Amino acid sequence: MKTILIIFRKELIDSVRDRRTLIAMIVVPLFLFPLLISISSNMLISQARKAQQKTLKIAVLPDAGADGSAAVFRQTLAERDDVTIIEGIGEDEGKTLVRSDSLDAVIVFDPDFDRMVTDLEPGVITMYYKSTESSEIEEGRVRRLLGGLEDELRAKRFEALELDLAIIDTVEINERNLASTKERLAQEIGGLLPYLIIIFCFMGSMYPAIDLAAGEKERGTLETLLTSPAGRMEILLGKFGVVVLTGLLTAVVSIFGMYLGIRLSNEIPPEILSAILNMLELHSVLLLLSLLLPLTVFFAAVLLSLSLFAKSFKEAQSIINPLMIVIIVPAFIGLMPGIELDTRTALIPILNVSLATKAIIAGTITPAILAEVYLSLIALAAVSLFYCKWVFGRESTIFRGT
Amino acid sequence: MIEVTDLWKTFKLSREQKKQTNGPTTTRRNGNVDAVAGVSFTCQPGRIFSLLGPNGAGKTTTLRMIATLLKPTSGSIKVAGYDAVKSPREVQRRLGFLTGSTKLYDRLNPNELVKYYADLHGMDNDTFAKRRDELFTLLDMHEFAKRRIGKLSSGMKQKVSIVRTMIHDPEIVVFDEPTVGLDVVTAKNIIELIRACKQQGKTVIFSTHIMGEVSLLSDDLAIIHNGRVIFSGSYDEFRGQMQRESLEEEFIRLLEGVRQ
Repeated sequence: MKTILIIFRKELIDSVRDRRTLIAMIVVPLFLFPLLISISSNMLISQARKAQQKTLKIAVLPDAGADGSAAVFRQTLAERDDVTIIEGIGEDEGKTLVRSDSLDAVIVFDPDFDRMVTDLEPGVITMYYKSTESSEIEEGRVRRLLGGLEDELRAKRFEALELDLAIIDTVEINERNLASTKERLAQEIGGLLPYLIIIFCFMGSMYPAIDLAAGEKERGTLETLLTSPAGRMEILLGKFGVVVLTGLLTAVVSIFGMYLGIRLSNEIPPEILSAILNMLELHSVLLLLSLLLPLTVFFAAVLLSLSLFAKSFKEAQSIINPLMIVIIVPAFIGLMPGIELDTRTALIPILNVSLATKAIIAGTITPAILAEVYLSLIALAAVSLFYCKWVFGRESTIFRGT
Repeated sequence: MIEVTDLWKTFKLSREQKKQTNGPTTTRRNGNVDAVAGVSFTCQPGRIFSLLGPNGAGKTTTLRMIATLLKPTSGSIKVAGYDAVKSPREVQRRLGFLTGSTKLYDRLNPNELVKYYADLHGMDNDTFAKRRDELFTLLDMHEFAKRRIGKLSSGMKQKVSIVRTMIHDPEIVVFDEPTVGLDVVTAKNIIELIRACKQQGKTVIFSTHIMGEVSLLSDDLAIIHNGRVIFSGSYDEFRGQMQRESLEEEFIRLLEGVRQ
């Protein structure tokens, strides 16, 4: 045990003095990450606000000189501050302008519109617009304006027929969503938290794992270390401890970074903010970390095994970098809606941590399924650790390329 | 004392290596290669033993087996009376190992690095401090004892390597091509270290392919080629049976004799 601690202490000093480890462990999750959250959320919200406040350019046809509903509607729009009526263009020209984003919409009233409405038929209005993700807000605003006209005409029609407007409703549905804000948020963004933490955890353990195995092999220091009275298992466990610790620390720092990012972003609505902060409460975070521990042991074992196999730091990097995809995919699947934690998904490494975290945040996890996740993670960690030990014991691996 | 008896080390060839046709066919069979094939010699305390041979002769593999890094396929190695396979820890406690190609931990300072190895050897703090001060004074290292190794010159680094090897006062010292890639001044430190070890009564074995070092240091030597010993005896005996003028020429003559 003493030897393991000696090795652990030395490897820890060596690792924290490594700029690459520090960047992956502290700079990215603590500074870069909150900055990114803050910038992206501010950008999204300010874009939405811009679209909301923008003056809409609308052409209403037939143009000036028309009478009836088209004229009334044009007048209503003209009185609004957030709409500019574009005059003097035809239908085709209007369509071209919409296509080139110079106009938000062209609204064309059928020549028989008023007759149709009077004859108790639906009056036809054609609305030309360009729907893309970025123009969704504008489109919604034009629809609401038309909706206002529809309500007005309906009210008039009912009045003329001497009918009560309320008879239009045949069913009244009282919707009461019993999911708590916490549950709804867990569903919507709860997957993102473990996804990011798992990736940070992997990234944090990556550089120490490469340096402590392949790096040491490349320098030739592994050879001298192996001639010392430290046993192979002791050396491995000492190194292992540092890789696991840096992985976990990176995860903790990234949680703190997220907290900081959310706190610093003043654009997040208060109810969402309090729900997110609820997600980051101590109990959930501790449970998540307890799930991350065996997962990090697994990461450390895989990373060290691959790193031990490599002849140099560079070779280890080129072997390990593609592995990132293998980590990202199951973590990403956990983000998808409809994928739930059950007895099968609880056995799939990485995905199970992702889903279990989601369930922990939502407060819907059951002890039985949580136990299954733990057991499968611990079994995986144990198997990978033994594999790593086997790799470390092989002369052909240790002296590969020398 | 080091006693090596009928030592064999067989490596399995990788697919890549099997495709390569060069290399001694005598030691290749069924996809295996005998890197060391029946090597025997004895290194006495207070004497310097040179293991001489061309590149790929099996010198490093032999020394790695003595240093417990590799397990022999067959044969026996006794280091300071302990079997290297059955009691590797006892061997490791009494052994110092230095290779010319070994680098150090750049982010530690000499003090930390030497302490690390002292701790691994289970030295207590007082003994460590005394021994470290002795060695640091001897090699004039106090000035840079707390500077990061990455910022030291190659000569300074070599001194750190020496202290790292000698901190636990090993009775057996293994040098694997210790001067390879070093400039003349730095190599001189190593030569002096090897001499000092001899004076202290330690058992010293070093591998080289530089004949000048052999004449400078050796009491005993073994010439190894294709994993087999082609000469073993004292340096004086070697000189006595020489059929060529210079050591280099005699060395080449012996190697060519085996090839024919």
